[in-house]
Amino acid sequence: MENGILKSSTIPILQQVISFAQDRHEVLAGNVANLDTPGYRVRDLSIESFQQRLKDAIAARNQRTEPLSPGMTASRRGDALSDVSDSMRTILFHDDSDVGMEQQVLQMSKNQFMHNLAISLMNTQFQMLQTAISERV
Amino acid sequence: MISALDISTSALVAQRVRLDAISSNIANMSTVRNENGEMAPYEGRFVIFQTDEEKKTKHGAAGVKIASVETEKVEPNYKHEPGNPMAIKEGKWKGFVAYPKINMTEQFVDALQATRAYEANIGVMEISKNMGQQTLRILG
Repeated sequence: MENGILKSSTIPILQQVISFAQDRHEVLAGNVANLDTPGYRVRDLSIESFQQRLKDAIAARNQRTEPLSPGMTASRRGDALSDVSDSMRTILFHDDSDVGMEQQVLQMSKNQFMHNLAISLMNTQFQMLQTAISERV
Repeated sequence: MISALDISTSALVAQRVRLDAISSNIANMSTVRNENGEMAPYEGRFVIFQTDEEKKTKHGAAGVKIASVETEKVEPNYKHEPGNPMAIKEGKWKGFVAYPKINMTEQFVDALQATRAYEANIGVMEISKNMGQQTLRILG
């Protein structure tokens, strides 16, 4: 029962998103730090596999027998631009490294946005709990 | 969060050492004697970066460190100055003074690159700080 209040909310999910974003930020910071390191290869955490695992975990937790809205099956959208970036993955600079500053900064901004969005949502959840506890609006 | 700041700091230190080497190269553009007073034109210094696995997170992010400082082995820049006491006394280059071969354009471009990399890491630190502050907002 100790988990009952939180189990019905999205707080545990948001917590996973926040900690993933923080860990990914460290990896991206390492990429920018190694901008001029010869032979360095870009490192990243797979956001797709994280979201897939999170989705599976949420599905397992809810354990619904029938879908919420029949006929509306969730499908993963393909990113049309991912083929372009895949074709450029093997391009190296003269010092044998492949860190592009623009890509890293873009990834980092997206990651920061995801992190702050999750925190805002979590704040709202806590405010709702607070309202419920204090029994006044 | 904290190790992101450590990683960015390691890059700031590395880029600053690189800038030190560049300013030493520019300062010694006309140095014809070495530190012992012997006749030896200054040789340009450049730094080699290496990933620092000591500043590592469990997800494989790594910092950066200076692997070594190398000296450029190039032919000196000979100038014909027979009246100069540092002029070479005999041989093919008699009457010439050996000056260091420092390409100023190269050095300034390198300095610019180091400065931009330094700024990029400062930007990353700002993002790290922002994420940390936002996390503290959960407390209300």
